[in-house]
Amino acid sequence: MITVTINGKEIKLEKPVTVLEAARSAGIKIPTLCYHEQLEKYGGCRLCLVEVEKMPRLQTACTLMAADGMVVRTETEAIADVRRGVLEFLLINHPLDCPYCDKAGECELQDLVEKYGPTTGRFKEKKRKAPESLEDPVLVRNMERCVVCTRCVRMCEGVQGAAAIGVINRGGHSHVEPFSGGRFECEYCGNCVSACPVGAIMSRLHRHSYRPWQLVSETETICPYCGVGCTLVAQVRDDVIKRVVPRIGTPVNNGLLCSRGRFGYEFVGSKERLTTPLIKKNGVLEQSTWEEAIGFVARRLGELKTRYGGDAIAGIASPRCTNEDNYVFQKFMRVALGTNNIDSTARTGYAGAQAFIENIFGQGATANLIPGLANADAVLIAGGDPTAVNPILGLQIRSCARKGGNILTIGHVKGVRHYNPAELKPNVHTEAALLEGVVTALKEKKGLPGSIQTLESKIKEIHRPLDDAARTCGVTEKDLAAFVEALSTASTPALVIGKEVIQSAGGSYNLLLLSAVAYLVNARIHLLSERANEQGVVDMGCAPDLLPGCRPLSYVEFRRRYEAAWKSPIPEKQGMTIFDMIDAAKAGSLRALYVMGENPVFNLPNAKGVEAALRGLELLVVQDIFMTETARMADVVFPALSWAEREGTFTNMERRLQLLRKAVNREGMEDWRIVVEVAGNMGVRMHFSSAEDIFAEITRVSPLHRDLSYEELEKSGIYPYKGEPLRGVTGDIAVAKPAAGDGGGLFLGIERPLFHSGTLSRRAPGLVKIYETAVARISPATAAARSLKEGDMVRVSSVIGYLELPVAVDFAVRDALVMITNNFEGRGALSLMELVLDPVLRAPVADKTAVTIEKAGR
Amino acid sequence: MEKVLLKNIENPHSADIDEYKKAGGYRSLSKALDMASKDIIEEVKKAGLRGRGGAGFPVAMKWTFASGDPKFPKYLLCNADEGEPGTFKDRPILEKNPHLLIEGMVISGYALGAEYGYIYLRGEYPAAKDILNKAISQAYENGYLGDGILGKKTRFHLAVHQGAGAYICGEETALIESLEGDKGQPRIKPPFPVNVGVFSKPTVVNNVETLANLPYLIGIGGEAYARIGSPECPGPKIYCVSGHVERPGVYELPMGTSLKDIIYTHCGGIKGGKKLKAVIPGGISTPVLPPEKIDCPMDFVNMPKHGSMLGSGAVIVMDETVCLVKVCYRALKFFEHESCGKCTPCREGTGWLRSILGRIESGEGMEGDVDLLLSVAGNIIGKTFCPLGDGAASVTQNFIKHFRPEFEAHIKNKGCGARQEKL
Ligand SMILES: Cc1cc2nc3c(=O)[nH]c(=O)nc-3n(C[C@H](O)[C@H](O)[C@H](O)COP(=O)(O)O)c2cc1C
Ligand code: SF4
Ligand code: SF4
Ligand code: SF4
Ligand code: SF4
Ligand code: FES
Repeated sequence: MITVTINGKEIKLEKPVTVLEAARSAGIKIPTLCYHEQLEKYGGCRLCLVEVEKMPRLQTACTLMAADGMVVRTETEAIADVRRGVLEFLLINHPLDCPYCDKAGECELQDLVEKYGPTTGRFKEKKRKAPESLEDPVLVRNMERCVVCTRCVRMCEGVQGAAAIGVINRGGHSHVEPFSGGRFECEYCGNCVSACPVGAIMSRLHRHSYRPWQLVSETETICPYCGVGCTLVAQVRDDVIKRVVPRIGTPVNNGLLCSRGRFGYEFVGSKERLTTPLIKKNGVLEQSTWEEAIGFVARRLGELKTRYGGDAIAGIASPRCTNEDNYVFQKFMRVALGTNNIDSTARTGYAGAQAFIENIFGQGATANLIPGLANADAVLIAGGDPTAVNPILGLQIRSCARKGGNILTIGHVKGVRHYNPAELKPNVHTEAALLEGVVTALKEKKGLPGSIQTLESKIKEIHRPLDDAARTCGVTEKDLAAFVEALSTASTPALVIGKEVIQSAGGSYNLLLLSAVAYLVNARIHLLSERANEQGVVDMGCAPDLLPGCRPLSYVEFRRRYEAAWKSPIPEKQGMTIFDMIDAAKAGSLRALYVMGENPVFNLPNAKGVEAALRGLELLVVQDIFMTETARMADVVFPALSWAEREGTFTNMERRLQLLRKAVNREGMEDWRIVVEVAGNMGVRMHFSSAEDIFAEITRVSPLHRDLSYEELEKSGIYPYKGEPLRGVTGDIAVAKPAAGDGGGLFLGIERPLFHSGTLSRRAPGLVKIYETAVARISPATAAARSLKEGDMVRVSSVIGYLELPVAVDFAVRDALVMITNNFEGRGALSLMELVLDPVLRAPVADKTAVTIEKAGR
Repeated sequence: MEKVLLKNIENPHSADIDEYKKAGGYRSLSKALDMASKDIIEEVKKAGLRGRGGAGFPVAMKWTFASGDPKFPKYLLCNADEGEPGTFKDRPILEKNPHLLIEGMVISGYALGAEYGYIYLRGEYPAAKDILNKAISQAYENGYLGDGILGKKTRFHLAVHQGAGAYICGEETALIESLEGDKGQPRIKPPFPVNVGVFSKPTVVNNVETLANLPYLIGIGGEAYARIGSPECPGPKIYCVSGHVERPGVYELPMGTSLKDIIYTHCGGIKGGKKLKAVIPGGISTPVLPPEKIDCPMDFVNMPKHGSMLGSGAVIVMDETVCLVKVCYRALKFFEHESCGKCTPCREGTGWLRSILGRIESGEGMEGDVDLLLSVAGNIIGKTFCPLGDGAASVTQNFIKHFRPEFEAHIKNKGCGARQEKL
């Protein structure tokens, strides 16, 4: 126990803290500027100077550790003079342009001057000048206002880990800039914006559009973009989201956001939002009324059900919609339409991979805390760049590296390249051979633990000596051995699995090998998730073989229990997966498709094929917030409320349940309400009047969600659940090994950029300004071999189509790949991709599409 | 007194290892390696050796802290940044007597358990870089550096790192930052470098001259060493004298030689028989002294009692023709330029002082400017992160303290009376 006396008040401290922290804990205020609770100590601004008995000089409270018996004074006349002096120094070169500055009202300098500050100006010389910089798409810099506290720099380097900016020059010429000058060209997380105490780095999105004190409301909700599930605060005025900020202390992201979360909110207020229901008449979508559209859909569904049976109808749910939407939607499909034909794009990787892993390790095997990654002593990354797919999770990996953890990657992972990763870069299509080598070596080093027999019998079959693996994959044996050594000596390792290893020829085999690695070294598994409620859509039973809570439909007892709860029979027959649905539509056996918040014509491989298949439907219903490629084909389009306009819950990749709160008002209906209305018109009453009602039913029906309430979620999210996970269903482990690798040539790869997320981000102008258009990303070697340079227009062709795109030469791309994103209208990578499925995961194989690339236009 | 630090420097080949050995070099090293390392520290303590970098910190104390820290490896850094204006005392050692420094570093490294050393060399000393590198390779070839020194288990590796021209990098923690590849700015203390220094390991930073004392000190023993010069602060000391004296240059004299003696006896008095106007005794950061105050022993303990500091021992002598407002202005220009920008008072205050001084100097001073200078300096002093900012403020305060009328006259006469008279 340490006792210090501050301003005569005795303060007892459990653990060593700074004098500043000690003072704050006792409610004593000491002014600060360079101090920031999330950042390393700095001691530069000198505002927090205090008197300490027996110390000859004044001391900075933010750096001085409180020692037993210390006597501190913070409010003497001398200290007041010091504060005035420091503030005067800060102001002599300050432009004093508060009326024009967006920070005014929440500026730490302004507040300090108001409280302690100098009144008369004694500085008679010319002030430093620096023009306002609008070089960056989402940031505005005004270095005349910079107080050189370096909070932004410490944030960028020590927390975000991007090290994009620094204090350039010295003395009075100090200012913040990227090392190369000019644009930041950084990760645009905007965490420096949060860190800046003054108006020197701010968001451009709300520039000069409001004053902070004019904000009407602040709503804490969950980011709509990825599976991390960051808490964000939407600040609103005139029913428009003016700004999105993070909040310190929230469980997943603790004061941080990524570019999408911070700058991607503008789609909510987009003029392109759908406003009224539309019905196709004579081939043209025309405005309609809710009554008419709902009546029409209910009638048509009823007719088709009667004529062809419920199994001729299918539904596609959405990893962007809430649990409540998805729950209602699958219940609607099962109860009102009498079919298990319900699935989502989680099928394209996440769902199958999770099922595979849970089949081995039990339910919840991937429900691991994201911040826990920072405390791992080794992180193995396979199948993607976590810092782009799930940026805030990526930060935890960087933090792990900073604390001395080993980062091991299969393939080049751009976002951790500055963290001294042990990289193995196998030739294209040899990942499995590499992992076989790793498993074989680990098996020898660590032995089999003996706890999961089904897995061990598979592991016993794996045999590939290191030298053979190294030769096959084109890596050195030394590197491979070192990699294995680092893995085998880790005591708290983690494994991060991205979509690239799942959506691969032999995806299930890759997952078996990765599971084997995790098993042998006892690693926690994190499954990257690209959509905000990808876990939730699965957990709600939006799958042809699962009921809510991930209970298999094939178990009669489960089915009976749900039938009792729903007071309705549930069909026994497994439904169609999303890909089966497309096939069945093509074959003519599927007559109607109801799509809620999804865009299959863009988000599934072979877009043209999907489009052709859907054209044969008798009824296509789409609920969305924008006129998507799929909506354009629909017979009926319902405009839904967006994420910001409603309540509900998301389940993140940790299986943390979190509450979405309504930030802005808009006329219209939530997805679930539209479905409830349609069901009602079909004579099936669903008695829900709010999202909370639905949640109450979920917690009664799903064993996984048992005993939860909004009230409880209100405080903070629930991790991971309170109900029972499913155990002991482990059957045999089915895998499909990949066919032997094929030779040279180029293959299509899907780029998953930090700044985009499917089709949502293309309506967010901030994000589009950062990453404006689709490009064909190729390695310098690929470019050189074809005499291509940055910006050249090329035609990338596969057997099913082509795209014309500008070239981007990128050292991080592998030589055998052409990387294209799937975000921009008419330019999605998936439009080039043939649909081939892994027989076990039933996820598409994305790495086998051969492409050619040539100069366009001739 | 026999020369210790500047021994042999008239020999044009003094930097060569053979010449150095011929004059008795590297004998102390073999003596030292036969001693227990804690006994070496004991000798240094008995000798009362204080650091020559400016602060006069007791060397044995610093070494005891570092050697007592359980972390390994430990590092020994030689501060050869020599950036204090007026200072050129380390340069002759670096250029003429590099093996003396190397021998001193190996002994020190052995004493405190450091196996790696760096010489952080002032960027503007390119000649010294080549000389040092050559001497280091000679020392490696002769088995005085590397693994198994003199056939013993002792190892010590040494490399030169050249600075990029920032004065602040002479401050030991900024030096460490710079050595690690970061921007040269001081670090928060504690932790002190002796515990968490370069690469987060225990680190001793000592000045060139400090380390160059070691061979001699070990050779004659701590007690004998302690009898040289001032009893409270013994040893030989290099004073570098510039300005208006007959014989400017470097002088190795016993510590505590009086400033008056240095100027009038050793340097031959004021050039051309002019009158002395002011002396800066220890580099630009130390308080200026008027002529009536120069009868003071030049050592770390006594100078503060006489209103100044020994600093780097760089004596800058100014005769009656010098405009002290201009000198003060020039000094502040230096501090403004060299302020690293980390802390507010120094970053903003040095520039402000400079601009006020600038307008006084150029004849545009306003009434109240002298008080304004004192007020601004007062807002800096004692509030900065490191001593650089304090230095800037104290220089201003001391020039005004001793020569206020000259400042006032500048304002009144709209310029330099002294200079106008001369024209
Ligand atoms: C602004 C500033 C500049 C300094 N420059 C030097 C320098 O050029 N050379 C030096 O030896 N010490 C310099 N020092 C002192 C060092 O910080 C440190 O005290 C010294 O290197 C310790 O060595 P010593 O104990 O042998 O004196 C400087 C200190 C400050 C505050
Ligand atoms: S936006 Fe993020 S990455 Fe860019 S400079 Fe700021 S903190 Fe660094
Ligand atoms: S830009 Fe803002 S956060 Fe960065 S140093 Fe300047 S004032 Fe501090
Ligand atoms: S990491 Fe994911 S959840 Fe968090 S802010 Fe970024 S996109 Fe949103
Ligand atoms: S006093 Fe402050 S600004 Fe000046 S050099 Fe030291 S740390 Fe840098
Ligand atoms: S808050 Fe302590 S020095 Fe800035």
